[in-house]
This record gives sequence, structure tokens and C-alpha cells, in this order.
Amino acid sequence: MTTLIIIVGFLIYLILYFTYGKKLERDVVVASDDNETPSQRLYDGVDYVSARKEVLFGHHFASIAGAAPIIGPALAICWGWAPALLWVWFGNIFIGAVHDYLSLMASVRYDGKSIQFVATDLMGKRTGYAFYWIVFFLLILVVAAFAAIVGGMFVRTPAIASAYAWKIFAALILGVLMYRLKMNFGVATIIGIIMLGAAIWLGTVTPIAASYTTWMWVFFFYIIIASAIPVNVLLQPRDYLNSWLLYAGLVLGFIAAIFVFRGFEVPAFSSFSPVLLGGKPTPFWPAIPLVIACGSLSGFHSLVASGTTSKQLDKESNGLLIGYGAMFTEGFLSTIVIVSIAGFGYTALQNAGVTTETLNPGNWGAMFTKASASVKLSKANLFVQSYADMVGATWLGFIPTKFVKVIAGMWVASFAMTTLDTTNRLARYCLSEMALPFKEKAEGFYNILTNRWIASVVPAAIGIWLAATGNWLIIWGSFGAANQLIASIALMTGAAFVAKKLKSSFVNAAVIPAWLLWITVTAALIWFIAVVQPGAIAAKPGPGWTVMVILIIMLILNFIFIADFIRTKAYKVEE
Amino acid sequence: MKFSIPDFFKQLFKGLDALHRSNAAALTVFEVEELENIFALLLLGSFVGFPSPPTFLAVELLPFMEKELRILNKRAKDSSDMFAEMCGTIGID
Repeated sequence: MTTLIIIVGFLIYLILYFTYGKKLERDVVVASDDNETPSQRLYDGVDYVSARKEVLFGHHFASIAGAAPIIGPALAICWGWAPALLWVWFGNIFIGAVHDYLSLMASVRYDGKSIQFVATDLMGKRTGYAFYWIVFFLLILVVAAFAAIVGGMFVRTPAIASAYAWKIFAALILGVLMYRLKMNFGVATIIGIIMLGAAIWLGTVTPIAASYTTWMWVFFFYIIIASAIPVNVLLQPRDYLNSWLLYAGLVLGFIAAIFVFRGFEVPAFSSFSPVLLGGKPTPFWPAIPLVIACGSLSGFHSLVASGTTSKQLDKESNGLLIGYGAMFTEGFLSTIVIVSIAGFGYTALQNAGVTTETLNPGNWGAMFTKASASVKLSKANLFVQSYADMVGATWLGFIPTKFVKVIAGMWVASFAMTTLDTTNRLARYCLSEMALPFKEKAEGFYNILTNRWIASVVPAAIGIWLAATGNWLIIWGSFGAANQLIASIALMTGAAFVAKKLKSSFVNAAVIPAWLLWITVTAALIWFIAVVQPGAIAAKPGPGWTVMVILIIMLILNFIFIADFIRTKAYKVEE
Repeated sequence: MKFSIPDFFKQLFKGLDALHRSNAAALTVFEVEELENIFALLLLGSFVGFPSPPTFLAVELLPFMEKELRILNKRAKDSSDMFAEMCGTIGID
């Protein structure tokens, strides 16, 4: 079954890339290599310069791939593996990848301007301004979500914490070799990979045990320190090692999933509303985009696509591979995650102490979340164990299981920690833009808000404080909501671009997904506010109300977007 | 053009090499650009409306700074649209 699903997933993505993808390219975007891209038209050798499509694909994919395409599908298994796969496959193909591709091509046609700029131009200034608010909330929630996930993983598997610490050490040394001693790039890379392997091995022999609260404090100070030191000291070499970890994880996972030849232990379908977010029955629609974000649809990708990618695109025909294709690759990554947990997750839970009476295919929807919480096996750890067992069950079984566990854990932790220490930069920028209206009227308040240290500490502090509650399922759902809200604006902007600027007769390929997404996100937000959040407030009022206020502001902004979309008739081709 | 397997692998390895070099430098390049912006603003700011008097150094360097001035002007125009570029460089997902 594992092999079949991987092959079917691969074929679906391949066939739809060359059919639906090509149709989007030909009839919706009307991409042509006769059109000069910004890297040609505005070439300056510095900011606007063509990059090879393989480099751009790799860079774009590495920017959009992270911990989210792993955690989301691991959570969504509570619906059964089939609904999770359906969203990862078809949500990706018809909404998520369309969203990424249109964001990229709209930016290319707008001289490399961001999707925010395009939204301001096509839908109005307040829609563009709202980006700052939603991204700021998103950054706080993503720090909270990822800190909670990594904290839980470090507590359960101290070897991963140790391996990560050794990897930091390896990154510092690599930084010196590459950027100070200017060692040959290939030689330094080989040394870096050897040190990465050594860090993983050392992690298994020198585990660092600490409590969840201790890890929250460690992450808080790590965020502050990492954002203050020069990037070539730690962040750059660490990101470079992360890219090798990503390739290793993908290659190992793909090979294992193909050769493991195992049936699924998890039911194909458990229930339309299994117990998940906030301990409440969570309906597949509209909640699925909140749970599985990046493997299928993620608003953040629109910002990445319209950032550096659009400025370096060599020709328009490369846009499909980079915008549409990279999202498919991420969907394939999520497919591997679903396959590993569907094939090995139930055994992992039983090995952790869950009995057949407590959890079985018959009560999967009602008991999956509770059972895994009862044995303190978080979804990140469930993936780590399932992945390691899947690799171990193939001819790759010569690699020690505990070594593979640490690789899988490091894969999640590395990308999550990258998010933790880089969100501060973005949060500072957001805060300074959001505070602009106060600059004239309340200069003192503006200066406090935009003070470098206050602007760095505030988002980190709120994020870690929310993570410390331990109620990460609430945080994850809120993070998903913020992310999909950005996706909603970006897809509406893409639809507006197709209708207003391209005047394509196939405008519905963009408009219908935009409407569907807006309706889904609105319904999801209302459901979350009305059903899930009251329980969170009752349990812990401070964090509960903080998240509630964020959700309400986002819901109000959501209605403003649709009002602007309708007011500007952004969905209609007008002659 | 005939498809050649050795050429295919040659191009593939070239592409992979370029990709890894780019990965090993992306953040640093971004930081360097920020520092260049600050340096250029300090030195040549008056030519783009930044209120600072031209120094003798700026005047002496002027003949050699045509490209930098052009880029500085372009970056000044794009400075209100930095958000997506920051997101593209900083991996959040």
C-alpha cells in the first residue's frame, strides 16, 4: 500500500503538472518567453539578475519547505489517511499550487513587485496594509506553534536536543572554515556534512534531558541572541547544513516508502468530525486548511514567490516549474509523511503504551488525539518514530534506528528552529510598518514600538508565552488560520490579476478557487472562535483571550478583503 | 539538438553546484546588501534626496560610482516594497 500510494501520488502530480499546469501556463497566464522578465528588463547585475532554473527551484523549495508540511499531515491522520491525502493532492493541485504560481507570475508581470504591492494596486491600499497585521500575527503564532512542537520533541527524545546543539557547534565551525578561512567550497561542504553526521551520532550518545519549561526559556534566549549575531557566524552555515538535512530526509523517505511494501495500519476514513483541535470534534470542512497548511496551501508562499524568486526568473516558461512544481514537490513530501504514519503510526503508538482497547481502527477518530496525548507521543514524535520504523523495515535497515530517529527529529527541529530565530527580523519590519500611523500623532509611542530591542523581544515573548501553555493544538489551528488568510488575499489578488490585467477567458481557474478558499477560511475562523476558543479561554484565560483577540481581528480583516474584492469587481473580466 | 547523457549529467551537476553555492551564501548576500545600502546612503545620500551634505570623498568617488548610484536609486524606489523580499530570504515555513 505504501508503494502504491507513493507511485499514485507521484503520477497524479506528474500528469496534472503537464495537463492542468500547462493549461494554466498557456491559457490563464499566457506565459511567453518573448516577454522579458524583470531580470532581463531591469537587469542591474545585483538585485535583478537571472538565476539558473535549478538554483531558483532549489532556493524557492528550500524557502517554502519546513516543519509545517510534516506536522500538519501528522495531525490530519485523525480523519484517516484518505481525507488527508485527498487534501494534499487535490487541494494542492487546484488551489495551493495555483496560488503559488499566480503569485509568482503576477509579480513577474509587475516588474518583480511583491504580491502585497499587486494587492494594493488591484484591490486597494487597506488590503495591502492588512498584510502587515496578518503576517505579524502569523509570526507570533508560528513561533508559539514551533516552539511548542520542538519543546515537546526535545522532552520526549533528548537525543534530538543534543544532536541539535552539536549541529549548532558544527555550524559555527563551518562558518569559520567557509567565510573566514575561505576554504575550498567543495572541501568545506564535505567537512560540514561529516560534522552533521557526527552531530547526529553524538546526539544519540549524549542526550540532553530537560523539562518543557526549561526548553521554553532556552528558546526565548536563543531567539534573542541568534537574531543579534552576524548571519555568517551561525545562521548562514546552519541554513546550509539544513539544506543537506532536507535532501537526506527526502531521499531516505522516498526510497523507504517505495521499498517498504507495507499495508496501512490506520483506517482510510475514521469520521468527518474526529476529536482534534481544542479537544473538540473538528469537521473536515472547513477545518482541513487550518490543519494541513504548507503541504497543500500556504499563504506565506505567495510572499516568497513574489520576493526574490520573481526578480531572478530567467524566462516566463521557467515559472511553472518553480511556482507550480515546487509546491507539488512539497505536496509529495507531505505524501511521504502520511504514508509513513499510515503504515507505521499505529505500531508506534502501541509501542509507546497505547492498548488496542484504547485505540483501534473502529474508534480512531474519537481516540487518536487523546490516546497519543495520554502517552505523551506528540505528532512530531509520532512522525519521527514512524519514519524511523519505515526506513528500518527496508534494505536501509543497516542504518541504526536511533540514528534515523535523530535524522527525522533534526529535520523537523532544524526547520522549526530556523523559523524561531528569523521571524524576529520580519516581525520588527511589520511592527515598524504597522506603527507608521502613530509616527505623526504619537511619536513617543511610535519610538517605543519600533525600538530595535522592544520590537525584537515583544513578538518572541508573546510567542514563547503562548507555547508555554502547552496547548499547541489551539496554537496550530490559529497559525493555520493566519496562514490561510494570507493565502486567501493572495489568491484573490491572483484572480484579480488574471481578470483585470490578463483579461483571460479562463479566469474561473483562479476566481473559483479564490471564492472557495475565502468561504472555507471564513467558516473555519467562525467555527474556531465559536467552538474551540471558549474552551481554551476557560482553561487558561490569558493566552486564550490573546489568541481570541487575534482571531477576531483576522476575521474582521477577512470581511474587509472580500468587500474590496467585490467593490473593485476584481473577479470579473471587463472589456 | 541531440540529447546526450553525459551532457545531461554535466548540466545537472553544474546546476547542483550552483544551487549549493547559492544556499551557502543567500543570507549573507542579503546582509551584505543591507550594509551596502547603509554605506551608499551615508556616502551618496544627498544625490537621492537624503539630507546630508556631499563630502569631498563622495565627489571624488562620483566618476566611479555610476552603477552604484543607479542601483541606489532603484533600491530607494523599491524600499517601500521590501516585505516579500525579506520573506523570500528568511525561511518561515
